[in-house]
Amino acid sequence: MKEERKAPETLHSSLHILRLEYEELGHTDQRRIDMPQAQVTMDVRKVDDSASVIDIRGELTGFAEGVLMEAYEQASKGGVRAIILNFEGLEYMNSSGIGLLVTLLIRVNREKQRLLTYGLTEHYRHIFELTRLDDAISIYGSEKKALEAAGQVER
Amino acid sequence: MSEHGAEHKQPRDAAHWAQPSGALRVRDAPEGALNLNVEGRRVVGPLQGFGRMWQKTYRVRLEGSDATPEEVVRVWKAEFPKLWPKGALFHTPRAGIAPGEVALIGSDRPGSRWIATGIMVLYADDVSFTYICPEGHPFSGWITFSSHRDDDGVTVAQAQVLIRANDPLYELMMPLALHKAEDDQWRHVLESLAARFSVAGCVETERVCVDRHRLWRNYKNIRHNAILRSLLHAVAAPFRRRSNRAKGRES
Repeated sequence: MKEERKAPETLHSSLHILRLEYEELGHTDQRRIDMPQAQVTMDVRKVDDSASVIDIRGELTGFAEGVLMEAYEQASKGGVRAIILNFEGLEYMNSSGIGLLVTLLIRVNREKQRLLTYGLTEHYRHIFELTRLDDAISIYGSEKKALEAAGQVER
Repeated sequence: MSEHGAEHKQPRDAAHWAQPSGALRVRDAPEGALNLNVEGRRVVGPLQGFGRMWQKTYRVRLEGSDATPEEVVRVWKAEFPKLWPKGALFHTPRAGIAPGEVALIGSDRPGSRWIATGIMVLYADDVSFTYICPEGHPFSGWITFSSHRDDDGVTVAQAQVLIRANDPLYELMMPLALHKAEDDQWRHVLESLAARFSVAGCVETERVCVDRHRLWRNYKNIRHNAILRSLLHAVAAPFRRRSNRAKGRES
């Protein structure tokens, strides 16, 4: 995996190699976004009109920029006010990955949305603490708690 | 969906990250290094600064070199201070560029140390390493040095910063001097690194303003301003010497 690393893409990089797969699961609007070099998939679930969950699985590195930003755009559709990142499937993250979360947070703030997370292991909670991302991104132990915090408890 | 807490297994990147420690501690400060603005400070990411947020990328292609990304990063870590511009001093930690290590930064320019600051190694693996700044440093954020193969197989060395000016004074200085000083610094480093692999590299620079907003709530960061504190330290030096001599006579 490490032999042939390619440059992390810039913020507004082209997404021409992006592959989209649409999936319908129950009442949720789910979209899977893969990028071969990114070693990550992000499933977007629209919980209701005002909250979406992005399920992150795999590696969060600079290569994931296109995937993450595309997932965010999908998650934001329809006036969503809360974006919830699910890190239960996170397997690897480097400092470029943390940088991506910072740029995502800026975009979320610009759109007057909230960014919340859950599913972080103790190790990744430490990284959030170390980089002081926990000052700006709320961390919860479960999706239910994140949704409650977002004011979006399913009835 | 899930109401389960996260599993507690150690991921592959665990050894690459520094451990959270609160305040910075400098072990074995090298002789001549001034530990004025690092000891006891906290690290600051791009969200704790004051000014606009910038992502700047400096990149050089090592055309004609067969060095692997791992080789480039190994040399970069080992020879980091030698690659800096003349007059800037980077005191490599005794344990080298390893996660959690703290390095002091000074200058031997005329007028002595006009700024004393430092960095902490936030992350380090075989193909990249990242420094994060302490409070008082001109920038709040981090810089990642990395190497990779381009699509055509050429090895590329890259430095990418994600920063804000740390306080209002530094923000004023950004367009006047700090942007240029930083651009000059990393271009020089990348050219020196390329030269180390016998390549006359041309450094590409890309600058993106990630956030145009200033974080006014962080204006108080100025109390840690390393330039002001370094200047005060230099101005007070004669008085400290006199005081120390007087104490010596008394004892």
